[in-house]
Amino acid sequence: MKISGSHTLQFPPEKAYTLMQDPDVLARAIPGCESLEKTGEDEYRMKMKMALASFSGAFEGKVRITDQTPPQSFRLLVEGTGKIGFMRGNGLLKLAASGAGTEVSYEGDALVGGTMAAVGQRLIDGTARMLIKRFFEKLGEEKAASG
Amino acid sequence: MATTIAKPELLVGKRLRRREDPRLITGTATYVDDIKMPGMLYAVIVRSPHAAASIKSMDVSKAAQHPGVAAVFTGKDTEKVGPVPCGSSLPGLRVPHHYILAPERVYFVGHPVAVVVATDRYVAKDAADLIEIDWDVRGAVADPEKAIADGAPPVHPQWPDNKAFTHHQEGGDVDKAFAEADVIVKQRITSQRLIPTAMETRGVVAEWRAADRQLNLYSSTQIPHLMRSLVAQMLGLEENRLRVVTPEVGGGFGSKLNVYAEEALMGFVAMKLGKPVKWIESRRENFLCTIHGRGHVDYYEVAAKKDGTITGIKLLIIQDLGAYHQLLTPAIPTLSVLMMPGLYKTANIRADIIGAFTNCVPTDAYRGAGRPEATHGIERMVDILAAELKMDPVEIRLKNFIQKEDFPFPTATGLTYDTGDYSLPLKKALGMVGYEKLRAEQAEKRKKGELMGIGISTYGEICAFGPSPATPAGGWESATVKIDPSGKVTVMTGCSPHGQGEETTFAQIAADELGIDIDDILVLHGDTAIVQYGIGTFGSRATAVGGTALYFALQDLKAKIKKFGAFLLESDDATLAGGVVTCNKTGASKTLQEIAGATYRAMKLPANTEPGLIATHFWEPTNFTFPFGAHIVVSDIDRETGGITIRRYIAVDDCGNILNPLIVDGQVHGGVAQGLGQALWEEAVYDESGQLVTGEMTDYVLPRAHMMPWIESDHTTTPTPVNPLGVKGVGEAGTIGCSPAMVNSVVDALSPLGVRHIDMPMTPEKIWRLVQGASSQEPVARMGERL
Amino acid sequence: MIPQTFEYTAPKTLEEALQIIAGGGKPLSGGMSLIPMMKLRLAAPDHLVDLGRLKDLHYIREEGGALHIGATTTHQDVASSALVRGKCPLLAQTAGGVGDPQVRNRGTIGGSVAHADPSADYPAAMQALEAKFVLKGAKSERTVAAADFFLDTFLTALEPGEIVREVIVPVEDGSTGTHYEKVVQKASGFAVVGIAVRISRKAGKIVWARVGVTGLANHAYRATAVEKGLAGTSGGATEVQNAAAVVADGIEANSDLHASAEYRKHLAVVHTIRALLAALARTA
Ligand SMILES: Cc1cc2nc3c(=O)[nH]c(=O)nc-3n(C[C@H](O)[C@H](O)[C@H](O)COP(=O)(O)OP(=O)(O)OC[C@H]3O[C@@H](n4cnc5c(N)ncnc54)[C@H](O)[C@@H]3O)c2cc1C
Repeated sequence: MKISGSHTLQFPPEKAYTLMQDPDVLARAIPGCESLEKTGEDEYRMKMKMALASFSGAFEGKVRITDQTPPQSFRLLVEGTGKIGFMRGNGLLKLAASGAGTEVSYEGDALVGGTMAAVGQRLIDGTARMLIKRFFEKLGEEKAASG
Repeated sequence: MATTIAKPELLVGKRLRRREDPRLITGTATYVDDIKMPGMLYAVIVRSPHAAASIKSMDVSKAAQHPGVAAVFTGKDTEKVGPVPCGSSLPGLRVPHHYILAPERVYFVGHPVAVVVATDRYVAKDAADLIEIDWDVRGAVADPEKAIADGAPPVHPQWPDNKAFTHHQEGGDVDKAFAEADVIVKQRITSQRLIPTAMETRGVVAEWRAADRQLNLYSSTQIPHLMRSLVAQMLGLEENRLRVVTPEVGGGFGSKLNVYAEEALMGFVAMKLGKPVKWIESRRENFLCTIHGRGHVDYYEVAAKKDGTITGIKLLIIQDLGAYHQLLTPAIPTLSVLMMPGLYKTANIRADIIGAFTNCVPTDAYRGAGRPEATHGIERMVDILAAELKMDPVEIRLKNFIQKEDFPFPTATGLTYDTGDYSLPLKKALGMVGYEKLRAEQAEKRKKGELMGIGISTYGEICAFGPSPATPAGGWESATVKIDPSGKVTVMTGCSPHGQGEETTFAQIAADELGIDIDDILVLHGDTAIVQYGIGTFGSRATAVGGTALYFALQDLKAKIKKFGAFLLESDDATLAGGVVTCNKTGASKTLQEIAGATYRAMKLPANTEPGLIATHFWEPTNFTFPFGAHIVVSDIDRETGGITIRRYIAVDDCGNILNPLIVDGQVHGGVAQGLGQALWEEAVYDESGQLVTGEMTDYVLPRAHMMPWIESDHTTTPTPVNPLGVKGVGEAGTIGCSPAMVNSVVDALSPLGVRHIDMPMTPEKIWRLVQGASSQEPVARMGERL
Repeated sequence: MIPQTFEYTAPKTLEEALQIIAGGGKPLSGGMSLIPMMKLRLAAPDHLVDLGRLKDLHYIREEGGALHIGATTTHQDVASSALVRGKCPLLAQTAGGVGDPQVRNRGTIGGSVAHADPSADYPAAMQALEAKFVLKGAKSERTVAAADFFLDTFLTALEPGEIVREVIVPVEDGSTGTHYEKVVQKASGFAVVGIAVRISRKAGKIVWARVGVTGLANHAYRATAVEKGLAGTSGGATEVQNAAAVVADGIEANSDLHASAEYRKHLAVVHTIRALLAALARTA
């Protein structure tokens, strides 16, 4: 599945970039993230609990950040496995100044397997978009908290 | 006590209701899941979520310690069990070792890797969730054409080209036909993967009686005897120590014409634990792990003269085999090749098959098995040729049909068609639908821009599998008829019907032959301890081959009844009729009941005659049979949405003599439902990583009653000389005739827009895009290199 | 196909039910969405609280110019109610087109609304009807309008501990014509797109129109641009076409195996036109 889109954040690219590399910020912004633990340079182990209406599932996975070119772009690799299936995502995020804020555009591939893939067809797309939206909304709230 | 009375009325040919239906529709039939045994355990199978991966490590300790769990077995434990069998042998066929549990590598999503056995299903499933597997995920390929392209990830590392076999067949002089052709039409035609979706999923109960050294295996299968032979081999058990029982089977459509890992696995578990064990396949497992059907990519070329005479056909089939060969996997496309000329005279053919491994569940026989693909191909190509030559699709068919007087007709693919009169059902169907008037209406509509289509298919098929040399496990069938001392009759047939209604039709045959009441006849099947031996029910064979075996067993028995009756009457001139032997001189008579009693009481016996009334016959057919027919679909297309409405559906089938028109209609209706399913709705979709994304009923569009058109069905009757009943077979006809008629209809509707071909399923979005003007031309450029 | 172990309570009173739900219990209504997910282990609630047996949640009554429908009223009861058919035909028509008879006999209006499946039928009607939902918790009760209720895919304004207790829909007057037009996803029965329409026409002029759309976006929405385009016109074919053309404007459309985003948007336009024409034909 191809994923692409963009979101606007109310702070400049430098700030946005830094926030997105900060594990504490990511832990707060990633929907359902319960813990994000550093395991290496730009590598983290993540525990997630997703609850979406009746759906619920715990995932364990890895987050990796590569190809950093601050403050313009970086690549995010996410991998998660749980009882209800697994997912792997790989996306390039680009940051560009837009007025006083930042336009973050992303483009990538996501792969979903297991029960989720087999029965969630009509929902995967919308759910992915919703989660991404929630992520950026949460990120947007960071400004207030971290100044 | 009921007496057997003389009964002149013949039952064969009557619209008798099925005797098996009351127990089915009142929910009182016994299926595998209804079997309960004291101390029975339940198994849940752990399967790979990945299409291609290696097991780096597997930790089953938590599962094994879970309260209520009796045992956990992995591929390491079952490595010595024989492989899941492949029954077809093609020259040079590459056969991967198909372990019942993968010990190291997995090749498709759903590949079994462990089994958890516990006191109930819930406990087993909870424990299964506790198994931890660390996977090394590898690259997968799910598309057969991509699989055989350079650089594709190898499904089996030992065969990097992903080719399981290639097969070449040629008849006549194809090169000459193409060199001298006035016109050549080419098309890539696909026949998508389908999920057979029997209403009852598979299931196995295994019971090991250690003291008797006896394994009882209850399985929802179409082939109990073959299963016994093969599973005994897998388990290293003497064949006579294994009994396979097939209780009620809730549909198979070919998907249960197989021996699966689970049958041997449950046998293994029961023998290890000394307790009965049950496994019932979930719907999700059924979608993932029971064979799929079709999976063809076909490249066709047809050469013809200006007048429409077809002179040659070239065909390249790329068959998506999946990751393994199940029982008949590689054989299915070879059936397509046999039927590639359809009903047409063409003497020149060339066919190639490339069997491609993919990281998907294996394909195998599904209603029609190879023939729907062939019929779909040739019937589409004939329409494409007609369009090219601006001929009417009826005219081009009539021109190329093998004629009535040409039978028996040797085909370019090496078959001998038994009998036929192909214009008969076509003309009948045209009359029923009012062809001329519809074409006039269509012309009017076209002026207004409305899209209406008339699609015709004239199909032929191979039935009554088959002569043994041409059928992997033997093509004969057997029957035993036993008359008890009280005169009641038991028929034991080796074919194992599972919805086809043979408990009724076979009783009809026996009732007529013996001249007795149908209620005095019991038809038994599906238990290797009761039935002598048999091949099974598939390939539209049960009545034509099994029914014929029954017919001959009845003849043997009738001879004995007559002999015994005459002996009792002290007559040298007696007749058996209506269940009574009468002396033609004195008029004295003995009923079947009296004779039966005397044969068992055996006070006096005729010379060289054994007591008892029992006869067994194994019948070997000399040829297949070749039914045929014509289907016509009238459709209307909603330009705005791409929606297809079926206005009329005509099915005229010629399956030889009809034993029970009600059952024949039912077979045609069910067949058409599955044909429409393929043409319009169904498709097993794997994504690029090998995940089956139509993994449940929520996304796999199965036809339902309310989606079906009214089917106007009728018949013509051209008996076969191959068997004395004159029956050909009708189990798959509806499916085979249907899909090309449906597609031809929609292509006909869209032809004013320049559309020449549409691949199945013809979803509304696909049609809408065609109406929007997207090109329908499938890639044909590669054909030159391939053929 | 085997759910995880869970506790099950069939409380005698709503208060008791809300107590358990406040403590983390999961409401079970018709079970037509929840149970399949439990069987696939996509959902694994610890404790199910069966609302289905609470008689005081199963009713349809007319009160103060509106219909009040209890949460556990089944789709079948809504579809066949003489009251609903007479006074709020859009809702009856919508309910009658949900899934198949088995689903309609089990599934409930409260469950469907609370579940907020982006392809469910009811939400389209709820938007067009400007329905209100009475949400009740152990210690609270509030009324939320449909427009503020459906927030995102499976996401509603329900707070933890709250249930949908009642759905309130208006009684139509004689000037209104309604219609629900649905493209069925043939495997699941859900809507590829579904368009619910109400139009009030007096003296040949459209006074107001309401258009609810499901299946297209992350949640059902009201196509207010279409509504505005129609108001004041006579509802002729061209006017309807022009107004309907914008139904999917600015929408990030869903896309799946059964219909791409582009096709879905197109279907939304075509079926909005069809729904509007059908509704107009029913106006006085
Ligand atoms: C085969 C099939 C086909 C279907 N086709 C359609 C269709 O065509 N169109 C369509 O719209 N739907 C369809 N459905 C879904 C069906 O309408 C469901 O009944 C409905 O979506 C949920 O209602 P329910 O009463 O079954 O809720 P449940 O399954 O019991 O619950 C669903 C969710 O809502 C919560 N919940 C239930 N009641 C309340 C309440 N009062 N307050 C708060 N939360 C609550 C539950 O905790 C759960 O999370 C189909 C379902 C099936 C199985």
